[in-house]
Amino acid sequence: MAALSRSDNSILGRWWWTVDRWTLGCVGILIGFGYVLMLAASPAVAARIGASRDMFILKQVIFLALAGLVVMATSLLSLKGVRRIALAGCLLALAATALTLVHGVEIKGARRWIALPLMSVQPSEFLKPFFAVVTAWLLCEGKRTRAFPGMLLAFGVFGVILLLLKSQPDIGMLSVITCVFMTQLFIGGLNLFLVGCGVGSMAAAFVFAYTVFPHVRSRVTRFLHPEQGDHYQIDTALQAFGNGGLLGRGPGEGRVKDLLPDAHADFVFAVAGEEFGMIVCLFIIGIFLFIVARTLLKLLAEDDPFVVLAASGLVCGFGLQAFVNMASSLHLIPTKGMTLPFISYGGSSAISVALTIGLLLALTRRRTRASRLDDMPRAKRGGAARRMFA
Amino acid sequence: MALPTGQPDPTLDRETVVRVTGRDLAQRATLEKMRARLLCAAAGFGVLFGAVAVKLSIATVLFPMAPAKRQIAPQVPPIPKLSPDGDGAFAGDFGLPHVRRATITDRNGQILAISLPMAAVFANPMELIDATDAARKLKTVLPQIDVDDTVRKLSSKKQFVYIARDIPPEKEIAINDLGIPGIYFEPGEKRHYPLGRTAAQVLGAVDVDDHGVAGVERYFDKRLTKDQAPLRLSLDVRVQGVVREELEAAKEKFSAIGACAIVMDVRTGEIVSMVSLPDYDANLFSKAVDDQRFNRAVTGMYEPGSTFKLQTAAMVLETGVAHVWDRFSTVPIHVGRFTISDMKTDHFAPWLAMPEAMALSSNPAAAHMALDAGAKRQQEWLRRMGFFDRVPVELPEAARPLLPRMSNWGLSAVMTVAFGHGVAVPPLAIVRGTAATSNGGILVKPTLLARDDDAVSASAMPSGADVPPPVLQPVSATTPLPGTPTAEPEIVPQGERVLSEETSSLLRRILRMVVAGPDEHRTGKAADIPGYFVGGKTGTAEKVGAHGGYLKHTNITAFTGIFPLNAPRYAVYVMLDSPQATKDTHGWTTSAWNAVPTWHSIVARIAPMMGLFPVTEGADKIEASLSISMNPPVPPGFHQLGPGNDPGDPAHLAALAKQQKDAEKAAARAARDAQRAAAHPGTTASAPPAPRDRREAAAGPAAALRREISYQVPAR
Repeated sequence: MAALSRSDNSILGRWWWTVDRWTLGCVGILIGFGYVLMLAASPAVAARIGASRDMFILKQVIFLALAGLVVMATSLLSLKGVRRIALAGCLLALAATALTLVHGVEIKGARRWIALPLMSVQPSEFLKPFFAVVTAWLLCEGKRTRAFPGMLLAFGVFGVILLLLKSQPDIGMLSVITCVFMTQLFIGGLNLFLVGCGVGSMAAAFVFAYTVFPHVRSRVTRFLHPEQGDHYQIDTALQAFGNGGLLGRGPGEGRVKDLLPDAHADFVFAVAGEEFGMIVCLFIIGIFLFIVARTLLKLLAEDDPFVVLAASGLVCGFGLQAFVNMASSLHLIPTKGMTLPFISYGGSSAISVALTIGLLLALTRRRTRASRLDDMPRAKRGGAARRMFA
Repeated sequence: MALPTGQPDPTLDRETVVRVTGRDLAQRATLEKMRARLLCAAAGFGVLFGAVAVKLSIATVLFPMAPAKRQIAPQVPPIPKLSPDGDGAFAGDFGLPHVRRATITDRNGQILAISLPMAAVFANPMELIDATDAARKLKTVLPQIDVDDTVRKLSSKKQFVYIARDIPPEKEIAINDLGIPGIYFEPGEKRHYPLGRTAAQVLGAVDVDDHGVAGVERYFDKRLTKDQAPLRLSLDVRVQGVVREELEAAKEKFSAIGACAIVMDVRTGEIVSMVSLPDYDANLFSKAVDDQRFNRAVTGMYEPGSTFKLQTAAMVLETGVAHVWDRFSTVPIHVGRFTISDMKTDHFAPWLAMPEAMALSSNPAAAHMALDAGAKRQQEWLRRMGFFDRVPVELPEAARPLLPRMSNWGLSAVMTVAFGHGVAVPPLAIVRGTAATSNGGILVKPTLLARDDDAVSASAMPSGADVPPPVLQPVSATTPLPGTPTAEPEIVPQGERVLSEETSSLLRRILRMVVAGPDEHRTGKAADIPGYFVGGKTGTAEKVGAHGGYLKHTNITAFTGIFPLNAPRYAVYVMLDSPQATKDTHGWTTSAWNAVPTWHSIVARIAPMMGLFPVTEGADKIEASLSISMNPPVPPGFHQLGPGNDPGDPAHLAALAKQQKDAEKAAARAARDAQRAAAHPGTTASAPPAPRDRREAAAGPAAALRREISYQVPAR
């Protein structure tokens, strides 16, 4: 890549010189960790479920390679392309999520998956990035064009998603999507009072979920009262961290990881803790924080409200997902099955995260400031629909 | 798009200026707000990830949760190290190098308990290539395994299955030589008791994790795991074997429900043999029932019966309350509805001097001796002799004796304890007390450990092929017989002196008279072995039934003896629990008819084994030195206790008590009157303080005795 000349005017050349190479590099590092930790964590899990030792590893190699390609391909998109893909993807994902209620595979009491040949897919994973972009677009258009009920439409779509995910049920995904939505409303300049209302209703909804869904209740109870009930999983995870210490046991030297349920997915961070220790874990946290903070701070210099909202929504979703995974494997929050982006095993997750980062990179690519001066008259002439499909 | 941004387009300048109002300003304000809130969001993420980082450092470094041992234990056992001499493990030399628990031996080095290196064979079926072939090969070395079952186990989708446990090293090598991948060994050890029933209760047992759970194994658990040197006990398996054999035969013969025997060195306290029947094979501890595990010698609490009269006699002699020539009444004593008397068939003279009272074992006489001494002296004496506490021996099973409450130690208690009823003590305590009366007056501490400087006596004992010439029994410890090959250095008993040398010498003669006195009805007659100068005291205690009353004809019979009395070496004790009458005993179930003959057969066999041989020369002289007249003459200047001079007579005591009470009453009345006269001439003073023993006095000795009987329930 570095061989690309600045004067290279090809699509790839322009991409390389305009894309956020720091974030791209961070994604590369995360994928690297993903490979290493999969080698460490998955053989024991594979042996436990009776699969071949290398099944997870081989699949993950393919998934992460695909994810890399998706990041590249998506980040080549123009703003227009981003909008189109997001709208189409959002509709498709909504439909697929609705389909899970009818044709879903039930795993552990929830219908979140659609079985496809070769792999099963969790459509709600894709809903998250696409919905963030669509929300940004709707909010912006609502502001730009008075007649366009952007805010209302956004809430409408959110309501549909809320219904679908509540029925699956997938409270974790729902809370992440809700958080992202709220953050976007907040950044979009919503009245602080209304933001407060939103946070209040989230709290109320959480209490509601606690009373309605038994699995939510049991997890929260176990979190608040560690002495009660079964907490083998979290104990094992904490023992893995404890066994790792500052510098870790060394690659392949972890022992507790072999007993850790879901070591390859939800608790992969604990495997990292045991084998590589606190320092490397801090490094991983740092990378996630770097991606999030860098993107958010970069957006300060951005003038296009759509880009700001869409990018902040995407990066919040990404950051929250990483936070929920790491925090729940450290017993900071109740256990919630959520993957660690690029590191946990899982095809849906890898591709969805790749789409998120790809869209993010596409949004934050350095554009020649076409300036509002160029933009304004066209905007005036255009209108929401034309902007979308121009 | 490709416009050079550094050069503003002059044509647009004006337009811009015009447009920057209204809507554009609002948009700019919105953007400013957005930026502020973006910063907020970034800060929020900073906080979230910061919290994760903090929790991470807590979980890894600050307060890490330690993983459980099983989680991080190595899955593959360590490769066994070669023995230091280099040609160990692979040269077919199966020494016992790597066991953790030390061996226990008897005093001659005979192994009593040993840990054998055993391995458990396990397999990781996931690593096996051909389960059927592996099972077939394993069967060639381990004939006990079932091929089909093993194939099934080896084909399972597990990573760990046991194939066989406790296999010896040569089989481990043989399996290893089969070269089957996926077969592993788990090193371990197994406690083995090669002599089976021998001293099973003394040795105790270990649990599956090799922790001692009973007996010596438990008492010395730390020592056995820390120090690899064999633990040498004072037991002698040859003696132990003989004692067990004779005791078992007696138990069978008299259909006793249990039996117990102890052989102890009276000088050192070393327990040479300790047998409790019924017993069990020490290798099958887990299958033994409680009655078999029960060590009667230290845990069993039995009313000692007449063997306790020896203590009573020792007490009155040592404290000077009575002398050997004093005479004691054998007339039955009536205490409430109980009567202290001797057997109906006994026709004792109404007054007996001490030697004869002991030889005939008269209960009233013993009661009178104790009455002369009083409750306080009696308690002090028994405490000093160690009867009020656990016997200090290296067995965790040593139990506390059962005693009357000290506050309830009235006249009736004094009398019953005098002949061994109303108290329950373990047999070992009796042996210890007997040893002290005869070894010159030293209370030794019983021990199961062999003395370190015991090499002399060990070499003096015949063992194996190189039997040393038999050591003739020295006539007296001070003047060894000429020609004795190895004169043993004299061992001086260590411990508290509880009796004077003179009292001890006197008691030895009394013990001898029980066995070899002139009296035809002496109880220990059957114990005598010519040339060994044995002596001892019989004891028969009626057993306490389920309802607290004594059972007629169900006895604990015992004989506690010493030999040779001229130079005391060993105290031997035999006890039979509930022996039945046989044709030979003419219906009798008392000690003289079962415990005493058993004691005789035991000592006759073990004495030569322990290097003591019957004295043939000068026996008459020794016999004379050990005898005492049944009616010793009263030296001048002493007023003999006897008819008309009996300070311990209950009637006399009652009169004394009455006098004292009257005096107290008078004193109290006088004090009251004085008080009244002095302070308040018109008012009535409070009642006088009641005498301390008023309640007992009111209830009478019968009630006291009844209360005491409730203590007499045996230990089990």
